[in-house]
Amino acid sequence: MPNVAVETVKLTIDGQSLTVPKGTLVIEAARQVGVMVPHFCYHPKLKPDANCRMCLVEIEKIPKLQTACSTPVAEGMVVRTATTVVNEAHKSVLEFILANHPLDCPVCDQGGRCDLQDFSHEYTPTTSRFIEVKRVFQKEYFSPLIEKQMNRCVQCLRCVRYCDEVMDVKALAPVNRGTMTEIKHFGTHELDCEFCGGCIQICPVGAITSRLSMYEFRPWMLKRADTVCTYCGDGCQITLQTKDNQLIEVNSSLGAGRNNGDLCARGYFGYHATTHPDRLTTPLVRRDGRLVPATWDEALEYVAETFAQLKLKHGAQVFAGVITARCTNEDLYLFQKFMRLAVGTNKLDSSARYGQVNAVRALCRIQGTHRWPVTFEDIAAAEALLLVGTNITEANPITGLRVKEAVKKHGATLLTVESLQPTVGTISNIANLAAHHFTAHPDQYKPVVLGLIKAVIEEGLADQPLSQKAPAYLQAIRDAVHALSWPTIEAATGSSAASFKEAARAFARTARAVIIVGAGVLREPGASGLAATLQDLLLLTGHHGRPGCGLAPLAEQNNDQGAVEMGTVTECLPGPCDLDDQEARARVSALWQEDLPQGPGLTIPEILEEARGKTLKALYLVGEDPVGSLPESARAKEALEGVEFLVCQELFLTETAQMAHVVLPACSYAEKDGTFTNTEGHVQQVRHAIEPVGESRPDWEIFSDLAGLMGYPLEYGDAKDLLKEIRALVPGYNLPGPTPKPSRPDHTAVDRYLQQGYAEDLGERYRYTPPVKAAGRLTLLVDQSLFHSGKFSTKAKGLLHLQAEGAVSLNPADAARLGIVEGDRVLLSNELGHCRTTAKVWDRIPAGLCRFPEHFDQEARRLLSVSIDVATGVPYYRSAQVKVEKAQ
Amino acid sequence: MLKEKYTTEIADILSRYPVKRSALLPLLYLAQREQGYVSEAAMQEIAGILKLTPPQVYETVTFYTMLNLKPLGKFHLQVCKSLMCALVGSDILIGWLEKKLGIKAGETTHDGLFTISKVECLGACGTGPMMQVNDDYYERLTEEKVDRILADLKRDGTSALKTGPFMWPEPAPAKRGA
Ligand code: SF4
Ligand code: SF4
Ligand code: SF4
Ligand code: FES
Ligand code: FES
Repeated sequence: MPNVAVETVKLTIDGQSLTVPKGTLVIEAARQVGVMVPHFCYHPKLKPDANCRMCLVEIEKIPKLQTACSTPVAEGMVVRTATTVVNEAHKSVLEFILANHPLDCPVCDQGGRCDLQDFSHEYTPTTSRFIEVKRVFQKEYFSPLIEKQMNRCVQCLRCVRYCDEVMDVKALAPVNRGTMTEIKHFGTHELDCEFCGGCIQICPVGAITSRLSMYEFRPWMLKRADTVCTYCGDGCQITLQTKDNQLIEVNSSLGAGRNNGDLCARGYFGYHATTHPDRLTTPLVRRDGRLVPATWDEALEYVAETFAQLKLKHGAQVFAGVITARCTNEDLYLFQKFMRLAVGTNKLDSSARYGQVNAVRALCRIQGTHRWPVTFEDIAAAEALLLVGTNITEANPITGLRVKEAVKKHGATLLTVESLQPTVGTISNIANLAAHHFTAHPDQYKPVVLGLIKAVIEEGLADQPLSQKAPAYLQAIRDAVHALSWPTIEAATGSSAASFKEAARAFARTARAVIIVGAGVLREPGASGLAATLQDLLLLTGHHGRPGCGLAPLAEQNNDQGAVEMGTVTECLPGPCDLDDQEARARVSALWQEDLPQGPGLTIPEILEEARGKTLKALYLVGEDPVGSLPESARAKEALEGVEFLVCQELFLTETAQMAHVVLPACSYAEKDGTFTNTEGHVQQVRHAIEPVGESRPDWEIFSDLAGLMGYPLEYGDAKDLLKEIRALVPGYNLPGPTPKPSRPDHTAVDRYLQQGYAEDLGERYRYTPPVKAAGRLTLLVDQSLFHSGKFSTKAKGLLHLQAEGAVSLNPADAARLGIVEGDRVLLSNELGHCRTTAKVWDRIPAGLCRFPEHFDQEARRLLSVSIDVATGVPYYRSAQVKVEKAQ
Repeated sequence: MLKEKYTTEIADILSRYPVKRSALLPLLYLAQREQGYVSEAAMQEIAGILKLTPPQVYETVTFYTMLNLKPLGKFHLQVCKSLMCALVGSDILIGWLEKKLGIKAGETTHDGLFTISKVECLGACGTGPMMQVNDDYYERLTEEKVDRILADLKRDGTSALKTGPFMWPEPAPAKRGA
């Protein structure tokens, strides 16, 4: 935040004097001195509406009572909140509300945590003067997950305002007038929205509740555990509430975590995945070709023995391991330590390989540090925001809320380069908030970014100091963009030179600018180059290195960032430090009191390659399912068939686990303790809410036991013990505070880049070669959707209500041209294969593109080829050219 | 689709408002003029034109009694039920209409001629009880007048007893009472 002196105001509330910033509302000032003014319609996240009149207070020199929720403080104001007149007012308001309220508290899920109950208890006499019949609303079906009991509604409109102001969804409408006002969606249609659960959470009474847990509990029976959602990199704090070791509901309180109590559908309704009946409950060992249950002792001894034998026979270099970045930092850290010490190889990798590695590499290369230079707060406070390939509402919904806040509340200028068109619907669309929007196919991100840079240069928007500090760098970019003509850029992007110039001006002339980049860039060929070029844009406009400004690449998985920092990607040691950084090696081996293994690491694609070549004998997969998640063209199945000994540590018997020789049941996040590091680099506590399902065990414990059996004891009392060791090697893991400190760019690194580093690949990065596309084909994008995360969430019954299968979304004009209407069966095909699915027609999809959710891509994956980034080893397989036709 | 049929009228309406959302009521009137009521398709189309979500259009339609969500009879009898009219017997007036037409408020007669609605104040508070039939006002109503009006409407499609509409700034012809 800029350091402007805040004007303050002095006032008195109930005899206590206090000083607060000008503009503070009386209700908020009162809270600061511990005075709670009763309220329904007020909520700190929402603009004052003052519709319920519950918060009336007396203010000296104002003859009538005032609403504390909408009255700003004034100098010398004297407020009284507990006089007889005020109490009478509270009573009358409640008497009016209760005139219609059904008082069905015994069967209301809000009973016991209801504002109406609490205020009635405090202010109302037990008799009512109303003898009229109470208002009754027709009961009607609302949605599979959200239940409405409109008779209980106090008409505060918090739900409606939240859905609009915070979510920008606008799916709820107050319908009709007066007492008969009722919250509805659209006519008799069932609710179609983002299902963030926000309206449930913000309703002060039991008028909107969750159907997933309806009538299953009384709030005071629930045990709570504050932990972190695992469905994306945003890392929202959630409170898992349980009864008798059963997960009952999830919520997140105001002010909690990095999400301030806001969640998305995955976080709010997706909690049943962990306790799905298919969870593995005992170890399985292959005997006579079949996987049969075994005891932990049998299974672990078998693994340890086989590992030892293979190592004796072939050496440590025939082993490899891959772990999912959904695991805790403690799991990830111990996994790499186990692989490096107990097994003795650097051939280990994690799912951070699929995109996060590109993000971290690009940050390190230019700013010299591996974390975001900004926080969520900086996004909300930015004056200009540029989003490139984020699909933010669906991929990182809560980061998306900060963007919405910046635009809607603080008037930031938003630029979007996204693969969706700005059309309105009751799922929010970030492009609608953009002042400048560029619709981009996967191959168009680069020319759009180059267009913006060209505009910055040509419009004279480049930062003055830079021309002194790095004239050669500036000249190189100047030359590069000169070589690119506007007609080329216009043809490549479909946007005019003028639109680039306008957008560039809007971006460059602001004091605080943040660029957010997502999977559209990070998981497509050319990723790390484009992420570097985006930092050129920041350097050119003078934003790079300025507080509150910088590049923020979005992490897809909850602990992608942690996986890199724990040294669980093959090129890194904990820190993260380069695998061949001698100083770092010395530090790590001093702490471990053991020599680090020599020899190269292997990335996931290289591991599969070695497996296929049969040089790999043993593979340890933790939570990774290459057969079920990589395209068929990656030939993962064939590769794994060549492995002599395959160990899978899993929650479910995945396609890969079915091929394993030993399957070890692991705990889900709900059953373990530890930490996750979110996309902005904030380390947060994970706490178990339920006992382990079946005999499953936390991943790190399994590594520790195996290591012991193999004769390399790696013993820890608990996850905290591990965290202590992590702290010794990885900066930023001290007791997590409420807000993260953004990393400050390292100036020597920036200088190195400006003086010579840029030259390495600048030519390549600024060259544009139009892609070759076969006529009559659409670009298929296999992408993340709002209601799921990877394959894991497809085990959550709540989320299956929202989306239970894949469908290909088409642009209306393309669909019409192909004679396809919504619901038709269609055939997608190309050289690699074909797949049949159902068509959806969606005006958000740009012409020439079609989209398929990755969570249900079993068949669509046949169409994808894999290309591997030579610089970062990241495999890309999100898009393909396909022919779409109506299935016969 | 309204957009095709009323291209210029819609463009004209939109040009009148710096904030597009303000064009919502005029567009809803246009839709109602076209079909006699505001259909879901019309609400969706208008939402698209104004970049609103359909629920935002729907809430507005339900707020104003002048906008209807269902097809109506040929004559829409809109009886004011707000305070002033209530004090001088709007309930009784509704009772007469219901009895004479054999339907309840909110319903339409089988022959498709009449629909009764209860509406909020129509600004004729000094001359209640009153009702608006399509665009015309009928004030200071008595049972006898109601009988005549219904008969006239059935026969001629209008009635000499009407007292409106009053259009500002044009003064209405002074033809009041019976
Ligand atoms: S998006 Fe849906 S769940 Fe979220 S607040 Fe709006 S209506 Fe409620
Ligand atoms: S449903 Fe709840 S939040 Fe919405 S208006 Fe009614 S009481 Fe308020
Ligand atoms: S999926 Fe992401 S945005 Fe949604 S609740 Fe979980 S962490 Fe938050
Ligand atoms: S809380 Fe102030 S009027 Fe509702
Ligand atoms: S109260 Fe009936 S017209 Fe005003």
